[in-house]
Formats: sequence, structure tokens, C-alpha cells
Amino acid sequence: MNDEGRFGQYGGSFIPEILYSSQQQLLRAYREAMADSNFVNLVRSEMQHFSGRPTPLTFCANLTRQLGGAQIFLKREDLNHSGAHKMNNVIGQGLLAKRMGKPRVIAETGAGQHGVASALVSARLGLDCTVYMGAHDIERQYPNVFWMKQLGAKVIPVTTGAATLKDALDEALRDWSSSYEDTHYLIGTSCGCAPYPEMVAGFQSVIGEEVKDQSLEQFNKYPDRIYACVGGGSNACGIFLPFVNESSELIGVEAGGRGDAPGDHAMRFNTDQARFGIAQGFATKFLQDEQGQLLPTHSISAGLDYVGVSPILADLEENGKVRMTSASDDEVMEAFTLLTRYEGIIPALESSHAVAGGLREAATMNPEESIVISVSGRGDKDIFNIAKALNDKPFNAFLETYLKQSEVA
Amino acid sequence: MSSLQQYIENEREAKSHLLMTHVVYGYPTIDKSLEIMQLMLDQGVELLEVQFPFSDPVADGPTITTACHYALQQEPELTQCIHAISELAQNNPASRVLLMSYLNPLLQLGFANLASQLAENIAGIIIPDLPIDHASMLKPIHSTDVSPIWLITPDMTDQRIRHITEQASGMLYCVSRSGVTGQTDATMSGVQQYLARVRQFTTLPLGVGFGIDSSEDIQHLKGHADIAIAGSTFLNAFNRSGISGINSKLKALSP
Repeated sequence: MNDEGRFGQYGGSFIPEILYSSQQQLLRAYREAMADSNFVNLVRSEMQHFSGRPTPLTFCANLTRQLGGAQIFLKREDLNHSGAHKMNNVIGQGLLAKRMGKPRVIAETGAGQHGVASALVSARLGLDCTVYMGAHDIERQYPNVFWMKQLGAKVIPVTTGAATLKDALDEALRDWSSSYEDTHYLIGTSCGCAPYPEMVAGFQSVIGEEVKDQSLEQFNKYPDRIYACVGGGSNACGIFLPFVNESSELIGVEAGGRGDAPGDHAMRFNTDQARFGIAQGFATKFLQDEQGQLLPTHSISAGLDYVGVSPILADLEENGKVRMTSASDDEVMEAFTLLTRYEGIIPALESSHAVAGGLREAATMNPEESIVISVSGRGDKDIFNIAKALNDKPFNAFLETYLKQSEVA
Repeated sequence: MSSLQQYIENEREAKSHLLMTHVVYGYPTIDKSLEIMQLMLDQGVELLEVQFPFSDPVADGPTITTACHYALQQEPELTQCIHAISELAQNNPASRVLLMSYLNPLLQLGFANLASQLAENIAGIIIPDLPIDHASMLKPIHSTDVSPIWLITPDMTDQRIRHITEQASGMLYCVSRSGVTGQTDATMSGVQQYLARVRQFTTLPLGVGFGIDSSEDIQHLKGHADIAIAGSTFLNAFNRSGISGINSKLKALSP
């Protein structure tokens, strides 16, 4: 990476001029903080004592036997406090906001996981927290909104555009344009202007660093392949980056959605609907039409439903260091069911994409090989969507009873 | 000297300030937006800023953002937009027409293409998400008489203002305050000191935009700026009372 926050042709800073000073301030503060061993130790300590790190590397004996291929291991980011890897990043950035003396943070959220994580860390650090969330996502993920509110965060519905993650990000940038003096913009994924991609990927790299130690300890070598789902790309960057110069093959799994038509998926690779573009403060591959308008996206998992991708991953893919594949909504539900039934682990629908990609290939590998799949989050938050996808009628009956009882009360 | 700067200086000889108005191409329809542009030029607006809509206009407030999203339903095309406003510029030689667009739609057309399409009739281009640090992307435009118009902000360091003025031509767009377009809560009264600071570094004409809503706002600029830039206020006027709303807003803001 050079000074401009470039990753090959991707990355950089393309923000309205009004944000220039605060971005420069953030760049300096981040560099200074990372060079300060007290800060680095504080981040590490919070990751341990607040979030429960290190997370385990769990061997899947049943699925390995069932598929008869590679040895299957899971990196258990679902066991973080808040139930997802998002915690790693908000601990780092929350402490950085404190260090910069900013009393307020703003965040964008898609599924709500980053919003909840931001609200949790804000409550702990005494920061005022405002979360922008697409009105459409609020409808899909109300339980997360409920928790954010309980944690004292203000949740602002975004109704412009498609009313999903990209629109929430636009709105957070607009807030920051007028509030930068007392506000830190706590971006949830390794996207946006410099230094966000590098910073978020940096805080998330604890995932891959732990896998290095754990794989040597548990099977005496680095994994042959590592799988992670890719929305914005923060959990993938986190588990991949420490392995970029090792022999492990790195595989990103995108949301294949319900089909290949524009608006039916969130694949930024292996499709001509995504091209080089500059928007939302940075250059990357964006799903866009011929006129350069960003396209709507779809995924069964709200967390992968993003129109761009980390510039770090766009560059790694271009250089052949990461292979990108995808899993359809249906394959994801199948993988979800397999992991739940065989291993007693309930993955988030986002993470189920990585599981689908990993299990698909594990069967074709030999038993001397080992793979690690990043379970970036747990599936409890997806209970409504999963019940619907599995057509669980008693769940509807439960909701009807709940509503009736609420009315009476 | 660019022909845009020459034009502004000539016009300024007889006028206390010039007016730059703003229209979103395609809002509420392509034809209607062209009609609004023509109306503004008929009323003697010196500078017309035409925004090609983008799906993610991060420097714009709710008024312009909503208009852009609405306009996108008309499936506007950049080349057609440039063609239409070039014709407008040709037919209205007493005024100048400028293109405003976020980076991505321009990028997809390509800057070499863009430069040749703009060269003939368009006086300037405003790109709110292109920082001066990436000015080299505009290289093909530098060989034309189209002025890239850079933004100056109130909390900019002297060093960065100097850096921008050294590369600027045509005019400068001084953003009156922090935040996005269309917020009118702050007054323009503090803007004079800021403009005086910018003036130290350049003889280029200064335009002031963001939050200009009334003749009172413009009074604060007189003697300190050359151009009052008004955008959201015209959209709000149109949304309230249609074409007649634009007419009365024009009367209120004209010199």
C-alpha cells in the first residue's frame, strides 16, 4: 500500500472536500495509536476481557466423516460477544474515538450486527451512538434495532434510494460532513476512504493471526484452504490477510442470491455487472449499470447485501491471491441445515455462505488436507428469516399468539 | 485566462453579483427539467449548473438527493444530457452552462470522451467527490477551455487553499459551511471573513453556495463574492408551487 491508501488500482480517498480535514486527522490519529504499545495492548485486553477472545478453532468430526474429504475446521467468530466478528473492529475504533477525544460515534448498518456491536462498545466506553439503518433493513431485522435502542443508541431509518446498506452509508457520510468536529464515523467494514479499509482489516486480522497459532497447534501446519463469506469483506480480510504470503489458498464466498439478473444477487466478482468504479469515498468493483448508477442487490443474508467490496479484496483477487466464488440462497440454507444438524453449531446466514463454499469443495479434497471455514457470526439473529425459509408453520402460530397477548396486555 | 473567468469578469462590471442556479437533469422528467433550465436562462441567470443525477450523491442533502433518485427513474444518459445542455448553451449565448456530476458516471464515460463532448459548449465542470489530490484524472479536460471548478471549505488550511488556487481556473466554489446542500439553519453573516481569507490567495471569481435561500443571504455576500450559487431552494420552490415557484424565487434572488 502506498501513502494514498491505494491497493493496486483500488482504494484511495474520494470524499467531499468538507471531510478532508477530519479524514487527515483520523489518518494521523490511527498511525499514532498503532505505534503506541499502550493502545495496542488496550485493544488486545478489551478483545479478551470484553469479547472473549481468542475464539476457538473447532474440528467438525461428523461432517468430515460424512463428506469423506478434507479435515474441516471452523474459526468460531460466532463466539465473540455480540455473536459476530464485528466486535473486533468496534473495540479498536471505539478506543480510537476515545483517544481522539470524540464523544460521539456514528455507524451505518445493514443486518444490524455492526449497529449492535457499535452500540455495545459505545455503552461500555461512554460514547454517544447514532446508527443509520435502511428502512427496508429495519423491517427485516427489527430485533437488532430493539437491542440497539436498549443499549442507548439512536437508530435513524434511512428512506432514500433502496433504503438498504449503501443508502445508510451515504447518510452516515452526510452526518459526518456536518458533525466531524465531535464525531467519529465508525465504519463497519473494510470499505470507504483511507484509512478505513486498512484500519478495519487491521483490527480484524486478529482472526487470521489466531488461526495461524491454532492450526499449527491442532494439525501441525497451516490450512490448505481458508473460506470466508464476502459482503463488505471485513471478516474475509481478517482471516485472509495474515495468510496472503503463505501457501494456504484463500477463497471468498459471495452472495449468489436467487439468480444472476441485476438486483438478484450481491456478487462483485465473476459477473460483468460489476466494474471498476468510484463511489462512497473509494475505488473498487461496484455493481453498476452502463451509466455508472449503483445497482440494487439481494441476498438472503442482509449482511452480504452490499454493492461494493473491500478494495483490499478487489486487489488481492486481481492478483490471483484470493479466489472468489459464490453460494446461492438455496445452497446457503442447505449448508445452514447441515452444520446445525451435524455439528450443533448455528451459523449466521452470512457465514453459511462460507460453510456452503467450504463443504462443496471439502468433499473433493483428500483426508490429508485441512480446511478452515470462518463462522463469522451466529445464527440466532436470523431466526425469523430461517423459520420463513424452512416454512416452519408453528413459528407463525407463535407470532400470532404473541401479538394477541400483546394486544390484551 | 479561461473564457469562463473572462465572462464572469465582464458581467461583473455592471452587476453587484451574478447568479448561478441549479437544475437536476431528469427531474421531474427530462423534458420538464430542460424547460426549467430554459426558463432560468430566459430570466437572465448568468450561470446554469446542471446536475447529472447519481444514485449515491453523498455531498447532497435530502432535497437534491430525493430529486436525483426520482430523476433516475427516467433512465437519464450522460451523453444525451451533455448533448441537450450543449444545445441550450448554444441557443443562449448570453449565459454559461456548467455540468455537475459525481465521479462514477463520468468515469464510466471516460474523461477523454467527456472532454471532447464538453469542449465545444460547456464552460465548466463541478465534481463534488473529486479531491484536488486526484486532479490528474482530469488531464484530458485540462487541454480544453472547460474549467474544472474546485471546492473550497471554511475549515481548509491556508496551505490547502493555496494548493487549490494554484491549479484552479474559471472560478472557485466556496462552500459556505460544513454539512451537505440544502440546510438553511446557519446564516451567511459569518461568511465575509472566510471569503476575505480565500481572496488573499487568488484573483479568480469566487462563488458561494450551500444554504443560500433568500435575498438577505445574498446581501451578506455583496462585495465579498462574485457569484451566489443557489440549488436546493429552487427545487423546494418547484416542489411547492411548480414553475411559478421558480419564477418568484428567481425574482427574489436576482440582482
